[in-house]
Amino acid sequence: MVNTLGKSNNGSAFGRSIPRVEARAKVTGKAEYVHNLRLPGMLYGKVFRSTVAHARIRGVDVSAARELPGVHAVYTAADIMKLVPDPHYGPAFHDQPVLAIDKVRHVGEPVALVLAADPHVAEAAAQMISADYEELPAVFDEVEAMTSKAVVHEVLKPAGTFPDLKHLKGKRDTNIALDFHLRRGDAQKAFAEADHVFEHSFRTQQVLHVPLEPFVTVADPTPNQLVIHTASQSPSFVRIEIARLLGWPESRVRVKVPYLGGGFGAKLYIKLEALVAIAALLAGRPVKISLTMEEQFYQITKHAATLRIKSGVSKDGKILARECEVWWNGGAYADIGPRVTQKSGFTAPGPYDIEHVAIDSYALYTNLPAAGALRGFGIPQLVWAYESHTDMIAKALNIDPLAIRRKNILREGRPQATGTLMRDAGIEQVLERLAQRMQWEKTFDRGSGSVRRGRGIAIGFKASISPTTSVAIVNVSADGSVMVNCSTVDMGQGSDTAMAQIVAEALGIPVGSVTLVHPDTDVTPYDMATLGSRSTYHMGHAVKLAAEDARDKLVALAREVGLSAETVPIPDIFRRKYGMQAGNIVGVGSFIPAYAPPDAQGQTDNATPFWMIGATGAEVEVDTETGEFKVTRLVNLVDVGRPVNPAIVETQISGATMMQLGFTLTERMDFDAGQVTNASLADYRIPGIRDVPAVMENEAVDMVQKSGPFGAKGVGESGTFGVSPAIASAIDDAVGVRLTSLPLTAEAVYRGVRANAGRPLED
Amino acid sequence: MSPFELAEPRTLKSAVKLLDAGDESVRVFGGCTALMLMMKTGVFQPKRLISLRGIEARYSKVTSAGDGSLRIGALTTLAALGRAAAVKKRAPVIVDTLRTLSNVRVRNVATLGGHLAHGDPHMDLPPVLMALDAQVVTAATAGSRTLAVADLYTGYYETALARNELISEVLVPARAGRRAAYVKLTTRGADDWPTLGIAVSFVTDGKVLSDARFVVSAATEKPLRLVSVEAVLNGATVDDALLARAGEAAAAEAELVGDARGSAAYKTELLRVHAGRAVRKALAA
Repeated sequence: MVNTLGKSNNGSAFGRSIPRVEARAKVTGKAEYVHNLRLPGMLYGKVFRSTVAHARIRGVDVSAARELPGVHAVYTAADIMKLVPDPHYGPAFHDQPVLAIDKVRHVGEPVALVLAADPHVAEAAAQMISADYEELPAVFDEVEAMTSKAVVHEVLKPAGTFPDLKHLKGKRDTNIALDFHLRRGDAQKAFAEADHVFEHSFRTQQVLHVPLEPFVTVADPTPNQLVIHTASQSPSFVRIEIARLLGWPESRVRVKVPYLGGGFGAKLYIKLEALVAIAALLAGRPVKISLTMEEQFYQITKHAATLRIKSGVSKDGKILARECEVWWNGGAYADIGPRVTQKSGFTAPGPYDIEHVAIDSYALYTNLPAAGALRGFGIPQLVWAYESHTDMIAKALNIDPLAIRRKNILREGRPQATGTLMRDAGIEQVLERLAQRMQWEKTFDRGSGSVRRGRGIAIGFKASISPTTSVAIVNVSADGSVMVNCSTVDMGQGSDTAMAQIVAEALGIPVGSVTLVHPDTDVTPYDMATLGSRSTYHMGHAVKLAAEDARDKLVALAREVGLSAETVPIPDIFRRKYGMQAGNIVGVGSFIPAYAPPDAQGQTDNATPFWMIGATGAEVEVDTETGEFKVTRLVNLVDVGRPVNPAIVETQISGATMMQLGFTLTERMDFDAGQVTNASLADYRIPGIRDVPAVMENEAVDMVQKSGPFGAKGVGESGTFGVSPAIASAIDDAVGVRLTSLPLTAEAVYRGVRANAGRPLED
Repeated sequence: MSPFELAEPRTLKSAVKLLDAGDESVRVFGGCTALMLMMKTGVFQPKRLISLRGIEARYSKVTSAGDGSLRIGALTTLAALGRAAAVKKRAPVIVDTLRTLSNVRVRNVATLGGHLAHGDPHMDLPPVLMALDAQVVTAATAGSRTLAVADLYTGYYETALARNELISEVLVPARAGRRAAYVKLTTRGADDWPTLGIAVSFVTDGKVLSDARFVVSAATEKPLRLVSVEAVLNGATVDDALLARAGEAAAAEAELVGDARGSAAYKTELLRVHAGRAVRKALAA
């Protein structure tokens, strides 16, 4: 294949459902994963974990473990601190110790580490370690944590990276890791003047990501560098944070990431990397830690939340004022929770045009496993509350659910709660297309006898995390083939394919001649992280800019040697210049969108570079005799701008929807005194293929994100937004039972049916 | 998971002998699907395991006698059991039950003997085999014995098998005119362990029921026959009133256990409603 620079935007690569570039390697078992990596002399690490939720550590007895034949070393915090005097890490707060120091703050917290050449020996030795704890009062509930006497961290230690956390530095005796407030208009006055005021509370449960590939990291102390091979969504962050902990220049830490077996927000920031890196340096040998599926339950989770919403509404259903209070259960370490509190917090009133808004959103420390980002970054919790609330208002005022949304929806050009005007946000388009596909205005079969049918709709929106940076390099070889160096991690979402399509489109060459260099901080430049559906937009821009830079340089080179780059094949240009197949053209692209930070009232005219919109319609069948129900149809609509690859967009929508279906119906971490009692896939139920609704329809509406690369924007999370409230509303529609707490169980429906009949089920 | 020694005897006799070697942690396995989960979590750390996969082929076969009874080798995998023509013909309820029992990867290796000997009350086939009056044949150095599946279970993960005794075969008697059904209720997704299992069988001329068996499982310490339900069904003609009475009897007799899948009160309501539906399902079978 001989490439000639084509005309940009000729549609040959962008917008086509080409197969994923890695598909064949994955299905033939040839794709590279950290789990398969074994290095000569490598030691396996096994973590000894806390069995109590909150305690002072009186002592850790590692003597028996150290004596077990085959054990290379056993480390506690004291050993870690020999190398790193202050071994605390975290993206928002430097609150998480590499191994517990003096105190444990949740069950499952790493207390000691065993290294052995044989993983079975490491495991056996870890079981021989014992710790002596002086138990402290613990706090588990996020609302109680606001005023609890049990304090998880004595002093708050913001990392310094986020300006809105700086005021928390040195604050003592509080579990509030961030309080975010937004005020627009005068909600209190509007409530007093409204015809109706509605107030409801909602709860979501703690769940987790369950990537099929559990956390895994290998660190290799080479003579000049520490090389970290890790299943991470944020290689650049890992390099910077490990370098900070060690007091080294970034260039001495090299982070390499092959494919990931799923991430969903779990594999962000520092997870195993600090522990493995320090252990490898202490041992002077490569070290690998692979968590078991069960250990994942103590690594990172999704926030449980309590949400209270109050709305002032006119008698014809216009929402005049809304007040939202949200308490996020962040667990024992902040991770990225404070960003969830603010970045998602400001959309808490929903995609509605409301003049008077007050939002208070709190990140709380508790003695549970830490919570971070999970596909939606807090948005599914918020949509669950505001869309359930919307339908409860509609029902009380006898207004159709579609009609109340049409009346209040946030339309193009109108200000959102932050004051930012909505641009390229297909809220109306998504809602109208959903209504059309659901045939909302036609008669609906409501079932008969003990089988009752119902339907519901819900719509949500999300801002992109901002401001964040992506840098990319596009390297054109002398034969016209192209390498793209970027640190976006393909964790299954198809970013390698998307980036190849964008670069091919920008250069006007076939997608097949573009190869992605996987994240390796020695050669792939900085990227904030693969999270929050930001890669298509941010890295998409960076690779497009890099491709355009390469293109310009190639055109200049052709001109220099007296050729036309648009008619002469690329290899001929190089050959004319260098006399043989030699040389490179290197294009560079760097992208950071414009952003204006919110003021003290939470107001800004530029809160986000783009908006993501997602809506779901659900139809259910409920057995009135038992409360058992089936989701018979799910219709998912999103605005993703122009889809880069329509087939991958569809799988992103259905994948996100199924994931949220699990969080809606079956998934829940059960706790006893902070201990997860269902920490296995046998007892923590993620959806299987037989849980997929009989009818599932996914569609991206016809939209263009004018500021996006070729009109595209993010897609990974939008499918999650509407699922939970749409199903809850459908159940209410079928049998008149309104559930306000997730997951939605048959028992809860049955108890509601009995309560409505005046004969509550007695235990 | 800790390393262990693996023995692979070629005969049932030598397997029994190896099992009787005195070490309390020695276990036999067929597919090892249940033991492996316990070993991976460290709950069970054996020094030695005995694989039964190499013993005589007849313990992996299903044969049907002229009278319509079935003799099923304990090493028959659940997948092979579900495919066996004789089982489809003589005891279609087993085939129906296997469709939603665990998943295809487990069914391809898990064996009937292991499934029965494990003693987990959430297993699907014990209540079904109890409703079919099936028996197990066991082997031990002391000799062989035959006991009813109904007598196999003595408590939560407890069976009547001696530590050095294993199941070698399962016998399902012939019963002309008998219909049976199993209802597996899951409350946390289709692939979950059952919240409640109900197995029912009876002889019928199409109208009147007789010789009924009614067994509940999963929400009980062990699969349990509910004789009061059987008494309601025997000699009766099926109508809504009868099935409601059967449900009331079941709810009154069974003492169900609450857990993360549902409270005891809710499971009792499920039983009250699904008892009759199970009878209807058997009638339609």
